[in-house]
Amino acid sequence: MRVAYYKGCLASLSAKELDSATQALAPKVGLELVELESVTCCGAGDIHEAEPDYYLHLNARILAYAAAEGVDTLLTVCNVCTLNLRQANFILLGDSDVRARVNENLVSIGVPAYERDVDVRHLLWEIAEGEGYEKLKAAAHRGLKGLKIAPFYGCQILRPSRIQGFEDPDRPWSLERIIEACGGEAIDYPAKIKCCGFPIIQAREETALGELIQPIEQAVEAGADAMVTPCPLCHLSLDAWQSKLKAETGRDFKMPILHLSQLVGVAAGLQESELRFKRHVVSVKPMLEKIEV
Amino acid sequence: MHVEATHDVLVVGAGCAGMRAAIEAHDAGADVGVISKLHPTRSHSGAAEGGINAALGNAGDDSPESHTFDTVKGSDYIGDQDAIEILCREAPGDIYQLEHWGAVFSRREDGKLAQRPFGAAGSPRTVFAADITGHVLIQVLYEQLVKREIAVYEEFFAWKLVENDDRCQGVICWDLLNGGLKTVGGKTVVLATGGQGRIYRTTTNAYACTGDGTAMALHLGLPLKDMEFMQFHPTTLYPTGILLTEGCRGEGAYLINKDGERFMKRYAPNAMELASRDVVSRSEQTEIDQGRGIDGSIFLDMRHLGAARIIERLPGSRELAMTFAGIDPIYDPVPVRPGAHYHMGGVETDNDGATELTGLYAAGEVACVSVHGANRLGGNSLMETITFGRRAGRAAAEWALSHTTIDVPRSAEADAERELRDLLDVSEGERPWQIRNDLGTSMLENFGVFRREEQMLAQLDIMDGLRERYQRGVVIEDKGDVFNTDLTQVIELGNMLDLAWCMVQAGIARKESRGAHARPYDYPTRDDENFMKHSISRWVDGAPQLSYSEVRVTEYEPMERTY
Amino acid sequence: MQVGLKVWRYNARTGERELAEYEVEAPEEATLLDVLDIVKDKHDGTLAYRKSCRMMICGSCGMRMDGAAVLACKTRMYDVAQAGHVPVISAMGNLPIVKDLVVDMEPFWHKFMSVDPFLRPGYDEPPGGRENLIRQERMNVIHKESLCINCGCCVSECNAMESDPRFLGPQALAKAMRFVGDPRDGHKIERLDALNSEHGIWECTRCYFCNERCPKGVDPRDAIAKLGAESIKEGIDGDMGAKHAKWFVVSAKTTGWLRETELVPKTQGLVAAIKQTRFALDLAKKGKVPPPVPPHVAKNVRQARQLHDLLQQQGVNGYAGIVQGEHALGKLAHGHVSGETLEEIYDRPGAFPRPYIEEAEEAVTS
Repeated sequence: MRVAYYKGCLASLSAKELDSATQALAPKVGLELVELESVTCCGAGDIHEAEPDYYLHLNARILAYAAAEGVDTLLTVCNVCTLNLRQANFILLGDSDVRARVNENLVSIGVPAYERDVDVRHLLWEIAEGEGYEKLKAAAHRGLKGLKIAPFYGCQILRPSRIQGFEDPDRPWSLERIIEACGGEAIDYPAKIKCCGFPIIQAREETALGELIQPIEQAVEAGADAMVTPCPLCHLSLDAWQSKLKAETGRDFKMPILHLSQLVGVAAGLQESELRFKRHVVSVKPMLEKIEV
Repeated sequence: MHVEATHDVLVVGAGCAGMRAAIEAHDAGADVGVISKLHPTRSHSGAAEGGINAALGNAGDDSPESHTFDTVKGSDYIGDQDAIEILCREAPGDIYQLEHWGAVFSRREDGKLAQRPFGAAGSPRTVFAADITGHVLIQVLYEQLVKREIAVYEEFFAWKLVENDDRCQGVICWDLLNGGLKTVGGKTVVLATGGQGRIYRTTTNAYACTGDGTAMALHLGLPLKDMEFMQFHPTTLYPTGILLTEGCRGEGAYLINKDGERFMKRYAPNAMELASRDVVSRSEQTEIDQGRGIDGSIFLDMRHLGAARIIERLPGSRELAMTFAGIDPIYDPVPVRPGAHYHMGGVETDNDGATELTGLYAAGEVACVSVHGANRLGGNSLMETITFGRRAGRAAAEWALSHTTIDVPRSAEADAERELRDLLDVSEGERPWQIRNDLGTSMLENFGVFRREEQMLAQLDIMDGLRERYQRGVVIEDKGDVFNTDLTQVIELGNMLDLAWCMVQAGIARKESRGAHARPYDYPTRDDENFMKHSISRWVDGAPQLSYSEVRVTEYEPMERTY
Repeated sequence: MQVGLKVWRYNARTGERELAEYEVEAPEEATLLDVLDIVKDKHDGTLAYRKSCRMMICGSCGMRMDGAAVLACKTRMYDVAQAGHVPVISAMGNLPIVKDLVVDMEPFWHKFMSVDPFLRPGYDEPPGGRENLIRQERMNVIHKESLCINCGCCVSECNAMESDPRFLGPQALAKAMRFVGDPRDGHKIERLDALNSEHGIWECTRCYFCNERCPKGVDPRDAIAKLGAESIKEGIDGDMGAKHAKWFVVSAKTTGWLRETELVPKTQGLVAAIKQTRFALDLAKKGKVPPPVPPHVAKNVRQARQLHDLLQQQGVNGYAGIVQGEHALGKLAHGHVSGETLEEIYDRPGAFPRPYIEEAEEAVTS
């Protein structure tokens, strides 16, 4: 299936490993990625809060360029991008006056109008069910050999559920299903749907760390070998900020954190050049050694 | 037990009337305390939906005189006309005051307050906030209460009034959060405890509406006026009794029977669905009784209003219908039936909220001034809480500021302690819910929309039996101090049994049909010659005694009442 | 139907906790509140919980079902009972428990009161003593915030408050927005200044639990975003959170992509950034600190710049920028798919008969 691919800021920069793993994985799960280039940051919750009209227009521009590719789906690989784009999409689809105004603005600066509707979907949703899931099962030939994986959903892929709506926000199942399809064992723990704290990790570090420690601590206690998350922002805090947790609490969790594409990628036999685990702050080696990769 | 504090003005109840009284008393310079068994914003005034009446003239020609006439006619001519004149004249100013305080009302195109048509109103005069008007009023009044830093004794269950020296001097309460009896003294006390709809099994009222204040006044020997008049709201959901506002009909909704017929044409050909509430309830009950309903309900049809209007003007009602009846009014009519809603009767007061007992005032549903007579117009109750809440608060403050002493006798406290012990000590008997359900079911059956002599007499016997069971002993399982609603529910039940007795006794004696008291089988017409008067119930030696008092007529002589 | 419940009983005086199990017979339309009433009436009179209106307007009955805050009176039990699931009922979170399902609301009210939750008029009396003239569209700015019934469900689930109990929280902030957005209030700047404090707007972690749990559709997170937007519009932007947010705007209009490396010094200041050099170096070793030069620029970024300038002129900013989306997003909340004509509704299969009037010969007297 041909889809427009919007990688977002982190996959372009500090989380390049997410992009390389996704691009390598896509054909194996039946996705032909058409990378969008004339796009910008989706604004995260930040532009939504600082300049909400700009947020709406930036996202409309991304949607417009995706629609211009003639696809039905805009594929995302980040929780925050998914919420931002879907929210903007609902606003435009649900209010013709707003859509008309936004389109007028877009056209006046040379952007195609957003006329043909597209649907915004995270890679997670594409491979958790339907054809994507079938292809996933076929592709995951290497398998995870019973590795214990703790899924971390984070916030914005689930909530607000009116906008996201893929699964029950309190009893999600997509990551677990994928883990199992890859031959791993999904670990359950309460904080898997709570916030990692990333949005305030710079402005209110202490509060954020108080949130961040919960999923990691619980995953360790539950005996997980690694955690997987569909959001590069959660990944950044879970992985790169683990050292801050150590500095604060003295506890060295050593919990490897994987992007969704990487986890599936391991099961599908992708190479290090594609998975780029070297870019992780917390070493993924112990997990890989366990399954002799 | 000890006296917790004393205040100039002590308000019991923190709904619209209580909070408005407290605010006014404070602004008049008095030190105010508010007692409430709920946090103020939980009060049932917040559940009011449709709107609050005032002759602002925003939606067409209107005047306080027109509002007065509609209210007098609506009361079926036993409303006290001088009180009604005051209400209608002062209402506009009170509404503007609320708006200045920040109330979030719905607006017209030109920015003025919007007014919608309501039952029995000659001109649209019901100011509203979508269909959550009560919520908006409770919020703005609470905000003003907080602004003035008025002391609130929250989750204090008011149990007994303290009378000493021919004055009311305070209230004895049960502290729900911490336990123990606490007395709060007041130079004046303003009762604003609301109504007693929970006497009926099917009611729009909250669990808290058990007439505690009405009963406290009754037990002190004060006169209760017009107790037989309980209003049945035409559009309540089954089986919960949850209210769907008259505002739905104000926006144009139809009432239809199972064939789709707008039956109000046969009962009130001019006003149709917006006839007076008692007329509509009776019409519905007749349709149901004559087999043109389904499962004891007829239907509120909003389909023709369209999704946009429903979602903009009646979103709360839609959510209630969807949540509690499983029906989306955009697509399907909602089954509704009459339910006990508002008690026109209550503690007798003058036009400033003063009761017979010096120092004791009352305002809101607990009081009977009377502005509603035998039937209340929709939108007039919220207005009454504000206008008479204000008047009572001011009157209480003025009295309190011109008197200095306050004296709560020890004996009152000791008696209460003893009575509490006795209640808690019961170890064998039945649980209160059985008596409560029997009361509620029998009242609905024998003292509902349509009444007949045999049923009302039977009801007296039934209640004799219930009282006997109650006095024999009701078991309170929770003997603890902390948040003991098991205890307070038993006290509430006792209150309701006494009040119900007053109601039925007055009903039997009123041998006519007037307003909400309908006796189509034995006394189908109104009898102005013999019964254009108020009933008065007094508690004497443990039982109600009935007498009558004059209706105050100023302008309008009774006429035939049709819609 | 048979309904099972597990309830966390708690006695604050003794500190005893106990998971009690109940199984009762309840009508099919019963809500969680109805079931609790049956338990209290017929099985255990010592069970403590708050209730009043039973129609989702008073806000008394907030409690957790399977760890998520709900209004007990709004929660129908039919599906739960049919599935044979026995939910665990416990008191709301983030507030001390008094007994069983009753929490001490004092900290909640304290935060509520700290935002001056009453109108502070910026006008003299309107002429003629009548109402202030305000168009409905203008009042709609605070429509959602005015729906709040103070139930506590949002506060119960707030992740930021769980980590830092001093956070003002979604309810107090939504209430603050109700006044910041009210055209009659005359102290907007003062209010925003106070809300930009350490435990105000910028401590919200954007977990969206509040929006998810709120039973009335207040969407406190959006109210907080409106406060942030209005603060920045009014030039109240000294908080690190505001600086963080503004850097995203600068990034978008200059390079298109977030200028990650400069984000820390822009947010926290150069000194704080320098203090974290060790941390930054560890990240840099893994390539997580992309060098700011040469900048990673998106294609056609000129369009992003032009867009920004154009929108500045149009001025739909501050909370207005968020309110403009509420009409459309409200449709999601209402769950209604528009479009049918009245005829289509009347003609649906199995539809109720159409309304009509019978012209009677004689009116039936009531």
